[in-house]
Amino acid sequence: MAVGASTENLAARHERARALLERGAQAAKHTLALDLLERVHEPIGEYPYRGWETLYREQWKYDSFGRTTHSINCTGSCAWKVYVRNNIAFKEEQYADYPDINPTLPTYNPRGCQKGANYKEYVYGPQRVKYPLIRTGERGEGKWRKASWGEALSYIADKIVSAISNYGPDTVTFYSANPAKFLVSYAAGARLANLIGGVVCSFYDWVSDLPPGEPMTWGVQTDSCEAADWFNSKYIIIWGSNVLETRIPDAHFVTEARMHGTKIIAISPEYNPVAIHADIFIPVKPGTDGALALGMAYIIVNEKLYDENYLKSFTDMPMLVRTDNGKFLRESEVVSDGKAGNFYFWDKSSGKAVLAPGTIDCPDKTLDTGAIDQALFGTFIIDTLSGKVEVTTVFSLLKKKLKDYDPASVSDITGVDAALITRIAGEFANTKPARIIAGAGVNHYYHNDLINRSMILLAALTGNVGIPGGGFDHYVGQEKYWCEEGFLKLAYPLGNIKQRFQPTTLWAYVHSEIEKIEGKKEREGKGDPENHDLWPRPISEYIRESVDRGWMPLYPEGTLDSGKTPRILLVWGANFLNQAKGAEYILANLWSKLDLIVDTDFRMNTTGLYADVILPSSSMFEKWDLSTTDLHSYISPFTPIISPQLESKTDWQIFLELARALAGTKFSFTDTLPDGSTINRDFSTLVNDFTEQGTLSEDKSAGQFILDNSMETKGMTMDMLNEQPRRIVATDKEWTSDMKDKEAYYAFQRMYELKQPLNTLTGRQQFYIDHDWFLEEFHEELPVYKPPVDGTKYRLRFLTPHGRWSIHSLWRDAKYQLRLQRGYPIVYLNPDDAAARELSDNDPVEIFNDNGAIIANLCISTRMPEGLTLMYQGWERYTFKKGGFQSPTTIRIKPTQLAGGYGQLKFKVNYWGPTGNQKDTRVEIRKYMEVE
Amino acid sequence: MPVQKQVRMVADLNKCLGCHTCTMACKTMWTDRNKGQMHMYWNNVETRPGKGYPKDWETQGGWFNTKDKNSILLASINEGYGTPWEYNYDQVLKTNGGDASESVSESVLTPSPRPSGNAYASNWDEDVGEGTFPNSYYFYLPRICNHCSDPPCVDACPRQAVYKRKEDGIVLVDQKRCRGYRYCIKGCPYKKIYYNPEEKISQKCIFCYPRIEQHKGNLCATQCVGRIHHVGFADDTASGAYKLVNIWKVALRLHPEFKTEPNVFYIPPLSPPVYSPQLTEDQRIPVEVLANLFGDTSDQTHDQRVERIKEIFRIIRTEREKVAKGERSELIDILIPHSEADRIKV
Repeated sequence: MAVGASTENLAARHERARALLERGAQAAKHTLALDLLERVHEPIGEYPYRGWETLYREQWKYDSFGRTTHSINCTGSCAWKVYVRNNIAFKEEQYADYPDINPTLPTYNPRGCQKGANYKEYVYGPQRVKYPLIRTGERGEGKWRKASWGEALSYIADKIVSAISNYGPDTVTFYSANPAKFLVSYAAGARLANLIGGVVCSFYDWVSDLPPGEPMTWGVQTDSCEAADWFNSKYIIIWGSNVLETRIPDAHFVTEARMHGTKIIAISPEYNPVAIHADIFIPVKPGTDGALALGMAYIIVNEKLYDENYLKSFTDMPMLVRTDNGKFLRESEVVSDGKAGNFYFWDKSSGKAVLAPGTIDCPDKTLDTGAIDQALFGTFIIDTLSGKVEVTTVFSLLKKKLKDYDPASVSDITGVDAALITRIAGEFANTKPARIIAGAGVNHYYHNDLINRSMILLAALTGNVGIPGGGFDHYVGQEKYWCEEGFLKLAYPLGNIKQRFQPTTLWAYVHSEIEKIEGKKEREGKGDPENHDLWPRPISEYIRESVDRGWMPLYPEGTLDSGKTPRILLVWGANFLNQAKGAEYILANLWSKLDLIVDTDFRMNTTGLYADVILPSSSMFEKWDLSTTDLHSYISPFTPIISPQLESKTDWQIFLELARALAGTKFSFTDTLPDGSTINRDFSTLVNDFTEQGTLSEDKSAGQFILDNSMETKGMTMDMLNEQPRRIVATDKEWTSDMKDKEAYYAFQRMYELKQPLNTLTGRQQFYIDHDWFLEEFHEELPVYKPPVDGTKYRLRFLTPHGRWSIHSLWRDAKYQLRLQRGYPIVYLNPDDAAARELSDNDPVEIFNDNGAIIANLCISTRMPEGLTLMYQGWERYTFKKGGFQSPTTIRIKPTQLAGGYGQLKFKVNYWGPTGNQKDTRVEIRKYMEVE
Repeated sequence: MPVQKQVRMVADLNKCLGCHTCTMACKTMWTDRNKGQMHMYWNNVETRPGKGYPKDWETQGGWFNTKDKNSILLASINEGYGTPWEYNYDQVLKTNGGDASESVSESVLTPSPRPSGNAYASNWDEDVGEGTFPNSYYFYLPRICNHCSDPPCVDACPRQAVYKRKEDGIVLVDQKRCRGYRYCIKGCPYKKIYYNPEEKISQKCIFCYPRIEQHKGNLCATQCVGRIHHVGFADDTASGAYKLVNIWKVALRLHPEFKTEPNVFYIPPLSPPVYSPQLTEDQRIPVEVLANLFGDTSDQTHDQRVERIKEIFRIIRTEREKVAKGERSELIDILIPHSEADRIKV
């Protein structure tokens, strides 16, 4: 095997490049020798010996530059210019060439943060994976041997074939995080999974970035405005969101909106960086945000500050509900050939119940109700097939429900002064357009769906959803991606419906045996309303019902009956193990079930360290790919600015080569899919299938395939994007608004302006969910407040927000980043909490609960309230003496998020599924005595 | 002889994100490739209130306030500037393949030397702040060399290796003539000159002169994603920097009492009101705290500074309200620059 240049230590290489530059600099100095001690008469303005200044001009010289972006899950999708000298990418600068949307909006330039300015550290640093590695010691022990690509891929291919023939294709599991950050690279793994029958895991619900309240209320995964539309708002509540740290390239739209006269309200439990630029900071007790929202709704409803016409047209508020069973009145109950998906209003002008247009079974796909004058309040008697029934409106029920949320009661729950609740409710309702920017701070709770629904309620009551500058806009993780049609065609050539998709939270929960642990706590916790007395029936029953009724898939099939387990996990472009909730259980229980774990990455990370085979992928400077975000409406390419370093290959090429290795086995089998259909999978044609008969052999052609097959990018080429990012030209059906020239994208324009129904049961923004589980078992048919869970045994709530210094685990081990922090993981605590525990700043401390423990160093700050502790997430497991940042967390499934068979509540990958929430965690902190 | 032109920069602290993109933009261009530069941040961002970078720089003194140069101490690199930690990547990550025969396996990535005892780093007290929750407060202060009109570093150097350029007023340390005596560091009350112990010379912010010469902005300003900077020449009446300093008078100098006439200015930070049911207009950052930092001239009293800061806040509030009502405001138009050309004119 040719070693030498290709296996040369990258760090040394970079060092040599630096030395080269340095030598040039030194040479410049020496050739400019002058008599240094000659007197200078005028050092201000007339310095005579300026020849040396070429030194820094030399340093700024470059041979070429190129365009790229970063495949990281930050929603930045920022265009970067990378300067190259002597084939070394030595300096990164924002390209800053996004075209204007219109001259009155601030531009997106420059776009990119301090992490993007230092990606080169990973390209050349010791973190870079240089060649394929195969484990020789125990998992996690760090003993490896170098392998050739051929050997590593045959090894993996043989294991895959063996798992499929012995246990079935659904034991082969693929995990990556988010197509948006690298459409081609994501499609690479997914495409192979689709061709061989493997399982593709969800990520958006698993990482709890999915706001379940959005599919519940709106029938969308999520749809938020692009950041430029923030500037159009007159009132912004930044709620449990920290855009100053987590949306660095977009934050200027907030600070500039503020200068533009927009009032900025920051609501969070601690005085976080976004609060420093707010007009009002509202400290809320952690996890009580839902109560605060309902307290505001109380004011808006009782003081009649709501937009009546809007509620009638665009929400389910005027829809009729039976008072006897709490169900919507359905047409099937009123007339013999009526449909179950048709619902009623009470028309005040005709004095009778009339069918609402735009509902799921209504052929009339409009929200235009014409002459109907819907009653918002009242109780009415209806003749049904089974006699007279009493009905009322959703709005009447809501008003009744809101009685519990008067300002005084809400003040008790939230710690926010009652007068302030009244004031911001009034301001929010009376300033239009008004917007709520919501973040992980309110979405990573167990009851995230209730919190979402309560906040969306505020935006809908005030008629803000569907207008520029208004609405409820959720930014956590990377939500949707432009070019979905093209991506899906590339990623799932046999079609979406032929793909096994797995809601990862359920998969991880069951296969990590968390049910046993949580089930035990649940039994012990009976009677303690704060401690696991969450479910009328054991969680296992809800899981069983959901899987048996086909509401949620659980792979491998037969898991619940025969104890089948997954056998192979292929991870690429993600750090599954480090970021997993319930990390200790996953490592202890899930890991041991796996015969093979493969990690494909450009750098070593926690998942890699605990894997069996590591494949080196190209960095973001070395490949063609595409990246999108819903924070802006442009599409940005990656381009190969330098050639793939050492033995790395692009993800597309890696999975193509794996397809080739699998083809070499000539394995074939007949696969019976979950829908009952069968498919003959012949691996000997895999290479042709993967490359579409050779047309998709190259990364660039795969990228072009996406552009060609998406309406967003009609007429665009990869080369055109390399010249300048283009604004997308149209939106497909996954988006709720049209793309308009010279306007920032905002959500729900099709509903509001075009009167198009939403994909909900009622076709409207639906706040009333009459699914049996919601109505009868959990009493969550309407948004209600439920306190954060997880007992009182440990006193400190443990939050792990996103921070400014990393994107999840990326840059957590980057030297230049670490030097601008404290160099190792820290945990924040209020001075009084620290004093009570006799702790000093920078003390090593142990953060622990029944799930696990971590050791970190203390940072005492008055930004923290008492009772709260905070560690920015993403620290790699190997940056801790003990544990990982997820060690104190568990996986706790909310049964209503397993529900299905109901209008918009229908499993679709990354759209609907249980969330891997983690903010309901409590811990204690004590001094850690170091034993050297 | 005075300079013909003087470059100036205004930083709008109401837009600073504390993201350190400026720091990294500078670091990755000028001080990440040569030895002895790792502790240097020609541009740094510090959380205020806080000890800053280097630690307690404001109390270290400078040429302006002492006759005895030798009484000014030089901060040590590790304790004052912060150790540029190295990490045991190879041992922990084993990307070179690892050695199966190796019996001792490092498993924790550890900064070396480990920050213990009196540990400090350039951004050690990030987001720590002061006050009592919920009335905690802090803000971000980005700092580069002020390229002062009356630079004490120039006077301080016995070798006359520090000078100010005629065409743009940028202050430089002649890297050839300098012998690393560090009197310039003692002389600078802002501690914005750094000693390179490997090359044994002093180095500092060069205001990206190779770029300014090409009419491109300095990297801390052009790469600032918060878009907080306005850069222009002091006599360019069309520049945003000029208008903010000279016309609208909303930008102040950092520690003008140091008498060096800095050419970097700051728009002082607003802050949310003190938490109470009534929410008065009392901003949570005590104006006295700001007046300890910012002012117009060296001869202003503390009380005058307090009044000036209050006046600036009144101006900003008035103009914001005007715009909220749909009226135009020249000030707000400057503070919300559309594109880079609007904020950087060199």
